[in-house]
Amino acid sequence: MPQTENASREKILARIRTALREPAPRHERSEARAIFAPVTDLLDRFQKECTINITECVMIPDSRSAGTAVRDLLAAIPPGEIFVQDSPDLRQLAAAWQDGREIQWSSEGGPKEASQATISGCEVLVAQTGSVLVSAACGGRGASVVAPVHIVVATVAQLVPDISAALARVQERGIVAQSSYLCLITGSSRTADIEKILVMGAHGPRRLIVVLAMS
Amino acid sequence: MRVALFIPCFVDQLTPEVGLDMVRVLRRLGYDVDFPQEQTCCGQPGFNSGYWNDARPLAERFLAVFGSAEIVVCPSGSCTTMVRNFYPQLLADSPLREKAIEVGRKVFEFTEFLTRVAKATDVGACFPHRVTYHDACHALRELHLKQEPRELLRHVRSLELVEMPYSEECCGFGGTFATKFTMISGAMGNTKCGNAESSGAEFITSTDPSCLLHIDGILRKQNSTVRTIYLASILAQTDSSAGMKARDAAGAAAKTVSGTPP
Amino acid sequence: MSTAAQEFLRRSIEKSADLTHKQIIRRGIDQYNTANDRGRMRFADWEAARQRCHEIKWEALNNLDRYLLEFEQRAKERGAHVFWAENSAEACRYITELATSRGVHKVVKSKSMVAEEIHLTPALEKAGVQVVETDLGEYIVQLRDEPPYHIVTPAMHLTRKDIADLFKEKLGDVDTDDPVELVAVARRALRRDFFSGEMGISGANFLVADSGMIALTTNEGNGRLCTSLPRIHVALAGIEKVIPKLQDLALLWPVLATAGTGQPITCYSTLIGGPRKPNEVDGPEEFHIVLLDNGRSELLADVEQRDVLHCIRCGACLNACPVFRTVGGHSYGTTYPGPIGSVLTPHLRGLNEFQHLSYASSLCGACTDSCPVKIDLHHHLLENRRNAVNGAERPWSERIGFKIWQWTMQSASRFRILGGLARAALRVAHRLGLDGTPLDPMGPWSKNHAAPRVPKKSFRALWGKNNAAN
Repeated sequence: MPQTENASREKILARIRTALREPAPRHERSEARAIFAPVTDLLDRFQKECTINITECVMIPDSRSAGTAVRDLLAAIPPGEIFVQDSPDLRQLAAAWQDGREIQWSSEGGPKEASQATISGCEVLVAQTGSVLVSAACGGRGASVVAPVHIVVATVAQLVPDISAALARVQERGIVAQSSYLCLITGSSRTADIEKILVMGAHGPRRLIVVLAMS
Repeated sequence: MRVALFIPCFVDQLTPEVGLDMVRVLRRLGYDVDFPQEQTCCGQPGFNSGYWNDARPLAERFLAVFGSAEIVVCPSGSCTTMVRNFYPQLLADSPLREKAIEVGRKVFEFTEFLTRVAKATDVGACFPHRVTYHDACHALRELHLKQEPRELLRHVRSLELVEMPYSEECCGFGGTFATKFTMISGAMGNTKCGNAESSGAEFITSTDPSCLLHIDGILRKQNSTVRTIYLASILAQTDSSAGMKARDAAGAAAKTVSGTPP
Repeated sequence: MSTAAQEFLRRSIEKSADLTHKQIIRRGIDQYNTANDRGRMRFADWEAARQRCHEIKWEALNNLDRYLLEFEQRAKERGAHVFWAENSAEACRYITELATSRGVHKVVKSKSMVAEEIHLTPALEKAGVQVVETDLGEYIVQLRDEPPYHIVTPAMHLTRKDIADLFKEKLGDVDTDDPVELVAVARRALRRDFFSGEMGISGANFLVADSGMIALTTNEGNGRLCTSLPRIHVALAGIEKVIPKLQDLALLWPVLATAGTGQPITCYSTLIGGPRKPNEVDGPEEFHIVLLDNGRSELLADVEQRDVLHCIRCGACLNACPVFRTVGGHSYGTTYPGPIGSVLTPHLRGLNEFQHLSYASSLCGACTDSCPVKIDLHHHLLENRRNAVNGAERPWSERIGFKIWQWTMQSASRFRILGGLARAALRVAHRLGLDGTPLDPMGPWSKNHAAPRVPKKSFRALWGKNNAAN
């Protein structure tokens, strides 16, 4: 068992308190200036950012059409099991896209290594960066990272202007308190570790798709 | 207005033409110039090497020499920076700290003085050559001089100003850095010289003769076609036919005295 | 000269002459600069962003005890174990004992500079635990058995061919140097490890006090897999990583990404608070946070340099530094290279041993300009030099030299006379052909420079004749 008493804790805190008897100098600000230009047309900005960060954004008129949209997407995905967040909405959706594929629901555990795709909802969409904010309640931690394709089913009502608004929303709604995990996802996984050349699809999904309903 | 000349120690000893050319331009603009004979060194070499206790008396001495001057002009961004930006910290516990701040307000690097105080961007110069400008680090980052030296060069008749790649990158001199870490300094200098050559310029100029000493030594060792010239030496040229001949006459011999008023 | 200084000198001399290295690094830095320039344009006011980030960090560090305690309390409420480690040995011991007592055979590791700092991997391996680096750059340098070259892009010094040859040798069955293919090779190789590792170790970019969560940013997704699949997650962070509020991330995330890689935001900005909750689908059963001091509380006491602890480890100063570009990340021989490393290492590992890094700079100031949290990096290098002169070993010749310099400059006539003598000596030495010989008064200068043109008369001599009346 690792040591349960932590004598260093008091020593470190004591040193910190002694050190902080004198405040350090700081740079003074000239005047309060806006750091980011305000985000006005949320949907337009979200779509533009998705193009930049390489998120596929599939627009549909309403949530009822989501089933068809997902079925079309799955048609291009190799055969094999998919993992779906177990929510009433997605249960209903699954009935609509029936393609004979094996589905593992999140209530049965996390996605398997061989999953071809995962489907989940999200907490918030962020226009500023074209991002998707998920929590552990969106099918678990693995749902948005294990499989090569991650499909997010969302509506424009979930759009907020910027990261600040997104964090405020998940705090206000108690999602931060209730979850052990949140992730702000911007595009599909990538790396530039080889000669600083951008390569898509490192360890996370190669494709991130947002099926976005207008209502 | 009387201008007191702050001539850096190495300019005094190694590149006097830098000071003489600066004086020519100041006089052409109608300024009376004084040279306080008691000046020696601002203390930067010791300060930069960490010898603050040894540099401090020299800073105090500087304040005594220049304390009553109306305005002080210096042909070096790094020496100006020493006085304005670092004396307050060096003299933080000295009774002369306030004096340092006061003097710092009236010490100017030469191009800074011309553009921000004298408000003169056209000084009646002529230099028919292709020139590239090296952004010396202190002038750029401590005195915030970027467009000002270029404005002065743009107003020189027949001068073609070209930009070299990475003009803001350090030339590698850094004072004692050049002797302590010769190979790193040399490699950085080589990069700077290569960039100057790739610009197609005949001359490389700057606000700092210390950078130019370093760059010049490398260029000549490599038999480069690019030559160095201090910025005031360009501004001091007025005769279009003289061009480089005048510069060579001033630089090589430095025997003739050139202090006659216009 | 300390051993570290001798090593630095040797390596830096070698690398300064390496033109291939120069080309590779120039290309990498150019790409970074293009992306970074574009990234900063996305801000209405980048300078205002820097100032605000400075303020956030100032608040956190100048109230460090309060925010650390708040973080600890909230993290514990979420079920996390929080361990405070005084030094490397203590941190390694905690993590190693945890691994061995829980039957861990394999650790999957996401990038962590602090783990490098405490040499965690060798400690775990000594205890019989396999450690797999999952960040691609770290994975590559681990295969090469060398330390990371750069704190953000560990394999920046390698070409695709170097990496292809490496994969062929260590993994077999690789006959391409196409980066897309190479990444796919790494993905396949590491997949099995993600799913079989019993413990995941990560760093933390930020410790969020008001939520008791750690913030972890990666582009590849490896950090998420390391912290989702294994049954134990250990997060290792320096005590200075704490920030007051979750809202602070709305600015810190974009700023870190912009300064680090030029991206608007990193692909995965993750918040982890505690092991999985009872109603959650997956996640570790245990979550341990190790808070490391290792010299940081001492640096905190240095009021002049406390802001060095504001560092968010973005790597921008490395990219801006002409010395880093010339000598490369491996020449430093320290966990943290570049300007931040030169400033920080003397505090963490001893001034006497590492003062040379503060001297190995031309003080150009490009680092300070690039720092997104406005640390006065190049001024701190000057202060380290002063501290070295006042409190560590400097060569006696240097101490005497500056005493002579000061004495000379205390008198205009002494300066005039000695200056004249020095110039005469230079002219004589040059005429005698001593340039480049051991008797060359210019010494090392002559290696790269032609002999200086030495004037017969100084400025004051030339002035004196005709201007006394002026």
